[in-house]
Amino acid sequence: MDTLVNVAHGFGVALLPVNLLYCFIGVFIGTLVGVLPGIGPISAMSLLLPVTLSGTPESGIIMMAGIYYGSMYGGSTTSILVNIPGEAASVVTCIDGHQMAKQGRAGPALGIAAFGSFVAGTFALVALMLVAPKLASLAIAFGPAEYFSLMVLGLVVLTFLTQGSMPKALLMACIGVVLGLIGLDSITAQPRLTFGRMELIDGIGLVPVVMGLFGVAEVLLNTELAIKRDIINTGITNLLPSTEDWKASAGPVGRGTILGFFLGILPGGGAVISSFASYALEKRLSKTPERFGHGAIEGVAGPESANNAAAGGAFIPLMTLGIPPNVVMALLLGAFVIHGLQPGPLLITQNPGLFWGIVASMYIGNVMLLILNLPMIGMWVQLLKLPYNILFPLIILFTMLGVYCSGNNVFDVYVMITFGIIGYFMRKLGYEPAPLVLAFVLGPMMENNLRKSLILSQGDLWTFVQRPISGVCLVLAVVLLIAPLLPSLRKKRELVALDEGA
Amino acid sequence: MTNPTNVKLRLGNSELWGGLIGLALGGFVIWSGLKLKLGTINDPGSGYVLFYTGILMCVFAGAIIVSAITEGGPTLASRWENVRWSKPLVLIACLVAFAFALELLGFLLSSIPLMLLLLRLIDPVRWTLAIPIAVLVPSGMWWVLKRLLLIQLPSGLFGIG
Repeated sequence: MDTLVNVAHGFGVALLPVNLLYCFIGVFIGTLVGVLPGIGPISAMSLLLPVTLSGTPESGIIMMAGIYYGSMYGGSTTSILVNIPGEAASVVTCIDGHQMAKQGRAGPALGIAAFGSFVAGTFALVALMLVAPKLASLAIAFGPAEYFSLMVLGLVVLTFLTQGSMPKALLMACIGVVLGLIGLDSITAQPRLTFGRMELIDGIGLVPVVMGLFGVAEVLLNTELAIKRDIINTGITNLLPSTEDWKASAGPVGRGTILGFFLGILPGGGAVISSFASYALEKRLSKTPERFGHGAIEGVAGPESANNAAAGGAFIPLMTLGIPPNVVMALLLGAFVIHGLQPGPLLITQNPGLFWGIVASMYIGNVMLLILNLPMIGMWVQLLKLPYNILFPLIILFTMLGVYCSGNNVFDVYVMITFGIIGYFMRKLGYEPAPLVLAFVLGPMMENNLRKSLILSQGDLWTFVQRPISGVCLVLAVVLLIAPLLPSLRKKRELVALDEGA
Repeated sequence: MTNPTNVKLRLGNSELWGGLIGLALGGFVIWSGLKLKLGTINDPGSGYVLFYTGILMCVFAGAIIVSAITEGGPTLASRWENVRWSKPLVLIACLVAFAFALELLGFLLSSIPLMLLLLRLIDPVRWTLAIPIAVLVPSGMWWVLKRLLLIQLPSGLFGIG
C-alpha cells in the first residue's frame, strides 16, 4: 500500500508540466545520441550536465535519466538499419537486426526492439520500486568499511570487464583515484597536487574530464576514419511484429529482461555486458542456433530487452547505496552532487518526491520512447543521413561551450582539451577511459571511507575482512583480480570484455 | 618470420612506452604522497592514499612493462597505420588555438574561425555551406546563451560577444 501511495506521489511530481518537458527533452536527446554513431549517452550526459543547473534537481535528473534509457532505444535503430551500433549496448543487435533489414524485415526488427525495450524498461521500473526501498533500509547499517569494499569491488568488476589487458585497466583506475584526490583534503583541508594553482583547489571538475575523455577524444578518433554508411533505403513497413515473431520473441524478451536487470545491478556491470550475455543465452537455448547471425528475431529481442532492463537496474546501487555501478551512473551522481544532494540510503526517506518522481518519470519516458521510436521512425532514418563533417564540428563547439558554461571558467576548457588529447592517445595505446572516470568519481569517497574505517578501528586492517559484507566484497574483488592469471578464465574474460566507452 | 609491427625490447614498442609513462606517474604520485605526510595507520594523513595508490600504479605499470618485453607489443607507427593521422593533429591544433584565443578574442571572434577551420579541414564542406554554418551556429548559440539565458561569455579585448 505504501508503495502505491509513493508511486502516486511520484506521478504527481513527474506529471508537472516542467518535468514532463524535461523528460521529453531527455528521451529525445537520448534517442538522438543513440541513433547517431560516434556519440554515446556518456558524451551527451556530460554535455548536458551544466544544463541541469538551470532547473530543479528533479527536472535535471529526470532529463539525465531519460538520456540514458533513451539512448538504449535509439541505439537499435542504427544497428538494424546501418549495421553500425549507435552505442555500445547495441553492438550485438547489428548481427541479426541488420540481416533482418537486408531481408526486408526492418520493420519487425525495429518493432520488436522497441516493444522488447518497453517491456524490459517497465519490468525494471517495477523491480526498482520494490527492491530499492528494501535495499536502502538495509544499507543504513553499512559502515565506512562496507562502503570502501563495495567501491573496490565495483572498480575491480569494471576493470575486469574492460577491453584490453587488466593491468592497463587497473592502472587507469589508479590514475582516476589520484585525479579525484586533487584539491583540498576533505579531512585536513591540506591542498594536494594543486601545483599552486587556485583553479585546482576545488579539484578537477567531472564535466571537463568526461567531456574530454569521451566527447573530444571520440571526435578525434572518428576523424581518423572515413566512416562508411550503408543505410537500408527501402521503406520501413509493418512495424508491428507478426504472431510468429511474437511467439519466437516472448521467451527471449522475458529472459533478457530478468538477466539484464540483475546484471545491471552488479557494480561494474551494465547494459553492454547484459546484451552480449542475453545473445549468448538465446543462441545456446535455441533449437536452431544456426539461424543466429542470419536474421533471427530472437537475436534482436533478447539483447534489446536486456540492455534496457540493465539500464533500469543500474539505478538501484546509485539510489540506495550512493555508489554508481558504471560511468553513466557516475555522471548521474555528478548531477545529484551539483544540486547538493547525496544519493544513498537516506535519499528515499528524506527526499521521497525526488526518488519517486524519477521512478514515475521513467514510466512516462518509456511510453514517450515507444511513440518516438515507432510512429516517428522515419525522422530518425532521415537523421542518419546527416553528414559527419558537419556533425563533428558542431559537437566540438557544443562541448567547448558546455564546459565553459558549467563553471564560467576558461581553465575548464583547457582541462577538457588536455583530457581530450590524453583520451585520444589512451585509446590509441589500448587504455580504456571508463575505469579512470569511475575511479575519479569514487576516489574521494573511497579515500574518505578508508580513512574513517582505519580511524574507527584504530588501525586494524582486519576490520575490512571481519565485517561480513565487506569481507565478501573484498574476496570477490581478489577472485576477479586473480582470474585473468588462469588461462581458462582469461579466455572467458576476453569473450565478455567490452568497450564501455563507446 | 618476425612481425615488423610487433616488437619486444625496442624503442618503438608502444606497450613499453605506455608502461614507462605509468611507472613515471606512479613514482611521482609516491613522491607526492610522501611530501604530504603519510600519517599513521591509526590516523592516516593527506598523503596516505596517494602513497599506496602510487605503489599500485608502479606495480601495474611494471606488469605492463614485463608483458611488453616478454610478449612484445605493436610499434608506435603501427598504431597510426592506415588512418588519416593528420586529421586529429589538425583538430588538436585548432582546439589549442581556440582555447588560447577564447579569453583574448572573446567567444564570437574565436568560435567562428574555429568552426570554419573544422568544417574545411576535417572533411571539407563546400564554402557556400561552411561559411553560413560557421557564422550562424556560433552567433545563434551566443544569442541564446547571452541574451536568452543571461550566461556570461568571454567578450575578449575588443569587447565583442
